[in-house]
Amino acid sequence: MEVTHSIRERTIAENSLVILLQGLQGHVTTVELRDESSARGRLVNVDAFMNVRLEEVDYCDRRGRPSKVAELFITGRNVRYVHIPDHVDIMETIQTQLKKIHRVRNFGSRHGGRKEYTKKTPRK
Amino acid sequence: MFETPGKFEMMADEVEQQQTTNTVEEPLDLIRLSLDERIYVKMRNDRELRGRLHAYDQHLNMILGDVEETVTTIEIDEETYEEIYKSTKRNIPMLFVRGDGVVLVAPPLRVG
Repeated sequence: MEVTHSIRERTIAENSLVILLQGLQGHVTTVELRDESSARGRLVNVDAFMNVRLEEVDYCDRRGRPSKVAELFITGRNVRYVHIPDHVDIMETIQTQLKKIHRVRNFGSRHGGRKEYTKKTPRK
Repeated sequence: MFETPGKFEMMADEVEQQQTTNTVEEPLDLIRLSLDERIYVKMRNDRELRGRLHAYDQHLNMILGDVEETVTTIEIDEETYEEIYKSTKRNIPMLFVRGDGVVLVAPPLRVG
């Protein structure tokens, strides 16, 4: 499960609860949208802006009419809720996801790491 | 940064800093006081949530456990034209709530 290549997105994600949703990638969840429709499927990807990609989706529109969709992209703004599966350990998921980000940040540690944005980095 | 109950503090700008302060300095700190407590959340579109606050962040994205969602609708009686308030409830074991839907956060309302 890849961490985004964008430094900006990594920083946004690690400083908000979106990181939990990123850790749910691969799980089957229900996403409820702002317009009262809902989509249940496997989370393929969640980005820092909460944009969601789902696959093998059972989609119910606002009226409750069901349909099946192979792939669904939901804009982050349109998310109202995400149901978290019962078997997920939230703390562990977040910590694992953070470790992945830190691993990317510290890549190339022989030369002092990637030197991503940290507040305390002194100017050379 | 976001807050979860317990010893865990791993946000980038916190790693090298001091422990989270215990004093209330900004409005979000009031929410921090409610961590792991049951809270009442008023949301947009006439929705209310009652659940246990497990985590929140600066956007007011929240993770709530044992949640009861109440959706209130107003129906107009066709004959008398009076407004009838109806509410629908449902329970969800663990819910992630996107912060832009949140209007207010409070301790659970006590009746009487």
